[in-house]
Amino acid sequence: MSQPVNDKIYGLMAEFNTPAELLHAAKKVRDAGYNRWDVFTPFPIHGIDEVMKLGNSLVGWVSLAGGAFMFANVAGLIWFTNAFDYPLLVGGKPMFSVPMTFVPAYIMLIMGAAIGALVGMLGLNQLPRLHHPLFFKKCFEGASRDKFILVIGALDEKFSATETKQLLESLGGARVEIVEERD
Amino acid sequence: MSHEKNHLPPPLDLSGWRMLPTLLMFVGGFLSFVGVLINPREFGFSWLLAFVFYLSIALGALFLVIVHHLTDAGWSVGIRRFNEHLASLLRWPLTVLFVPIVLLAPKIYHWLNIDPATDNTVAAKLPVFTYSGFIIASAILFAIWWFLTSRLSSLSLQQDKTGAAELTRKMRFHSGWGIVAFALTLSGAAVLWVKALEHEWYSAMYGVYFFGSSTWITLATVYCIAVVLRRQRILSSVLQPNYFYFIGVMFFAFTLFQAYIEFAQYFVVWNANMPTETFWYLIRENGNWFALSMILIFGHFFVPFFLLLPVKAKTTFKVIIPVCLWAWLMHAADLAFNILPAAHHDGYPLKWIWLPLGCLMFMGGFLAKIFLNKFNANPPYPQRDPRLLEAMGVSANVVYDLGETSPGGAK
Repeated sequence: MSQPVNDKIYGLMAEFNTPAELLHAAKKVRDAGYNRWDVFTPFPIHGIDEVMKLGNSLVGWVSLAGGAFMFANVAGLIWFTNAFDYPLLVGGKPMFSVPMTFVPAYIMLIMGAAIGALVGMLGLNQLPRLHHPLFFKKCFEGASRDKFILVIGALDEKFSATETKQLLESLGGARVEIVEERD
Repeated sequence: MSHEKNHLPPPLDLSGWRMLPTLLMFVGGFLSFVGVLINPREFGFSWLLAFVFYLSIALGALFLVIVHHLTDAGWSVGIRRFNEHLASLLRWPLTVLFVPIVLLAPKIYHWLNIDPATDNTVAAKLPVFTYSGFIIASAILFAIWWFLTSRLSSLSLQQDKTGAAELTRKMRFHSGWGIVAFALTLSGAAVLWVKALEHEWYSAMYGVYFFGSSTWITLATVYCIAVVLRRQRILSSVLQPNYFYFIGVMFFAFTLFQAYIEFAQYFVVWNANMPTETFWYLIRENGNWFALSMILIFGHFFVPFFLLLPVKAKTTFKVIIPVCLWAWLMHAADLAFNILPAAHHDGYPLKWIWLPLGCLMFMGGFLAKIFLNKFNANPPYPQRDPRLLEAMGVSANVVYDLGETSPGGAK
């Protein structure tokens, strides 16, 4: 990178007034070859996920792992306590059998999957965190009201403070600003 | 979304398959006829199996139509018309197919040959558990279905001509009492025609189980029909790509629901451990019934469940269409697991397998012909439904179109 300033820059932020403008800009940014960029909008915009090539979230896999882990754990616990460590005869039922373990194991599967979903969501979003460089920009508040904001991160390989800025301005961003990195 | 229509492959040509229903009718009819001649009792059970199989598809379709009206849904307008036709099979076609069961009832339902004075399990159900009681109860079920399905489909066809919103309100009214009648008649049919094969057995879950199975298999069928009609460009204007996700997700939900009910029924019997209930499952552990039960646990639940679990699977035709076809096989196997052990306590003699297959082929061909005739005689989807535009995605907001002519910096 030619500009050492980049170390202190979080990225460039452009503000758009309509969803259509944002979609158009997002398409151009994608076609320009950027990878680390994101959009912030007051409401969901149809088609933006396709433009951004957003795949399926990985949260499902964390959830599945959590559920499977708890299921095996509870089934194992019932086997260990009832059939192995301290064999206990209850109601003439076998010491261990699948129907017997299924209900508690299934209930804990739901809990494991729910916790997996929560932890996976927080982890993949890198939450919790107390601040974010974007929050220091006054105009970013518009993303919760009536503005549509596109941010290109400085970590992107193609990022350059001048060229990227030109690109965003050529796309009709109403306001293009530098977002400083803060510690 | 709408621009995807332009990328549809050329219309599917199915003219080579036109003779299939007739062929199925002839081959199946021949096999069934041979069956009647050599073993009427075996034929009776096989015929009952095939009848309940198609009955469940028709009932599931009736449920989808009713739910469409009750929820005032928009997206399912496109699939409603052929669901109405499927539900209409409950009128004369399935009534006619029920006649052999009435005639062979004394060979199928062994309580008909028991003196109620000697058997309390029959005496307790007496007004119904006589030959005439059986016929009257069955007639009541068919009469209710007849009235309900004819109201729902004739009002819908009427709306194609007039476009009156009042007709939608009428259909909603009939769905209102219809959903209650549906629940009662479906449970009645499952108990009277299937569970009563072993009348000493009790299960409060049976009606719900049959409801879950019916809707499951219907959703699989609806998915396949919808894909074919979209590929033929008949329903491509009213079926948006995400509607397949909706059908697929319901199919997935009912995979789970049906398994949940079936497991719950087993678990309650297992846990209570009462001889009046456990005998039903003990019979089904004999011989090859045990193998079938294992096939059902994995094939009816685990395989479809894990194949359909990913979000993308519900719209990837290469994944879900084979699962839907597999569901047909599994549903038939599930019904066989419920019906046939009453005739063969020690396992199914595989030398008879051609007979239920023949009955399934005959009825499949017969009902497919009627369905296709109905479908061809009427518009393929409700032409003037108030929610039609919504289903077509026409009223969606303007942001959709992302063509190169997008309004760049324009205000």
